[in-house]
Amino acid sequence: MKIPATHRLSNWLLLSELIGGCRKPRKPSRPRKNRVFEFCLEGTRLQSRRKSSKIRLCWFRRSVLVRRCRRDHIRKTLRDALCIEIKMRWHSPSSTFYGGLACGAALLLSAASAQAEGTPIPHGTLELIARDESIAAGHTLDLGLRFQLEKGWHIYWVNPGDSGEPPRVQWQLPAGLTAGAMEWPTPRRLESASIVDYGYEDTVLLIVPLHAAASLAALQPVRLGAQVRLLVCSHEMCIPGKAELSLILPIKSQAPAPDTLTAELFAATRKSLPRPAAGNWRFSVADANDSFVLTAEVGHQITQAVFFPLAESQIENAAPQKLLAEKADFRLTLRKSDRLLKPIKRLKGVLVLSGDQAFLIDVPISKTGTARNNSGDGAH
Amino acid sequence: MKRSTFFPMLLYPTLLYPMLVALVLCSAPPLASAAKVGAAAPDFTGTASTGKTFRLSDYRGKYVVLEWHNNGCPFVRKQYNSGNMQQLQKHWTSQGVVWFTILSSAPGKQGYATAPEENDYLAKMQAAPTAALLDPAGEIGHLYDAKTSPQMVVINPQGVVIYDGAIDDKPTTDLNDVPGATNYVSLALQQAMAGKQVETPATRPYGCSVKYADATH
Repeated sequence: MKIPATHRLSNWLLLSELIGGCRKPRKPSRPRKNRVFEFCLEGTRLQSRRKSSKIRLCWFRRSVLVRRCRRDHIRKTLRDALCIEIKMRWHSPSSTFYGGLACGAALLLSAASAQAEGTPIPHGTLELIARDESIAAGHTLDLGLRFQLEKGWHIYWVNPGDSGEPPRVQWQLPAGLTAGAMEWPTPRRLESASIVDYGYEDTVLLIVPLHAAASLAALQPVRLGAQVRLLVCSHEMCIPGKAELSLILPIKSQAPAPDTLTAELFAATRKSLPRPAAGNWRFSVADANDSFVLTAEVGHQITQAVFFPLAESQIENAAPQKLLAEKADFRLTLRKSDRLLKPIKRLKGVLVLSGDQAFLIDVPISKTGTARNNSGDGAH
Repeated sequence: MKRSTFFPMLLYPTLLYPMLVALVLCSAPPLASAAKVGAAAPDFTGTASTGKTFRLSDYRGKYVVLEWHNNGCPFVRKQYNSGNMQQLQKHWTSQGVVWFTILSSAPGKQGYATAPEENDYLAKMQAAPTAALLDPAGEIGHLYDAKTSPQMVVINPQGVVIYDGAIDDKPTTDLNDVPGATNYVSLALQQAMAGKQVETPATRPYGCSVKYADATH
């Protein structure tokens, strides 16, 4: 996430150097007092914070060192904090004033950059964004929940797998606006010992279409509110989180202009969403005693296939999915879950082929397992 | 895509031997008979935090409840901080049910506790299981294919599993969801004791994953 140019510390420093002139501080002839002000400001994390960087700010004869702290010694007290250490050398009594000025400016900068980032959640941030800059009556606008998670932490898919819980959203929308079903990108298999979960790491955008009634009048801008409850886990622990998000958008009668900052992100995510399989592909699922056998005729040889069921407790998530690939079709064996006590009629889920092509399939389960025409068009 | 943090650990020789042992142990395929509802409950012997040994087959003729526990997991905390789990334990043990709290977390992982630590926790929480069994090797956990904490298994006096799954129907970490939730353990015990068929014999257990020894993710 880019920090807006006006908020970058480096720009502010450049300006102050021009004003004050920069001179290297002379070595003092007698021992001077060094006062260290350390302020820890709570805010959302900025992107590059691996190394601590020293930035020297010169203000007349005084030198003020602004340095990004290493996270270690503040981790116990504050999460996601930006620490600014300001070292002052005494040259005159008024250095306190300049110190205060620098601190105040740093505080403002930090607060401003925090707003640009998103709401903090455990080990990450969450933002509510929209594809367009306004809402058009009678049309659908794509809203998105953008998660950015720290390394080693993940959230869950609609079917979380063996453990965990997916994020749940409660919308607070004005009259005339309704939120549609969430569109989930292809999940990843998160394996840990004998437990397999389905979820997302790093960054993910969960798209929610917002339907605007045709009768919606172009009144004041509306506030879209979302209360999100989620579980963020690493392989060691889980932390529940709650975020209150809001977005204010105007209602316009004409077609909306796409938001330049977010439109690309939405387009990329939509492209990677699981899509319906090709019309000429044929799928069937046979109910063997302790497993389901998914047979797919796709016209070319597949080297890798993974199935993610949409419903919980249907297949044994931790069991390996045996693939038998022929020239034009393949068979995937899915072990049934121990908790599947009643027979099911259809198998719905996401089939990922060759690592990255994801298809939504909805196949009826038959005892005989004969392939049926158009049973795999995955209409949803 | 499987991601593995296995390789960095090989750089440390002191961790090699346990890793090899763990590899051998986890190369066995998952047991098909693990805790299937309607099947016989696998027998086990566990050591409690008090030092006493308990064997499941010794309790044939009584209802037995197995509760997988991890005191750091927010889902388990919801049950304990609200007092719900303790109340369930007290109520059902007074009805003659044997209640085992099982800790299957490996040493060093969340939920692991030594015997004195677990005794302190039980005293602090005023928990009332028949015993808290320490299972750091995950043997009992793997035997029942326990995936999450909390996960509940109910065994009838004939030694058959009659319930396996979640503690209740509200898979959240919110304490406010405890009072209104349908408790599947109580329901199963009540129905079985009345001689009726258990209506909901299996549900997907919700919670944090059990922190077994050989995690690769």
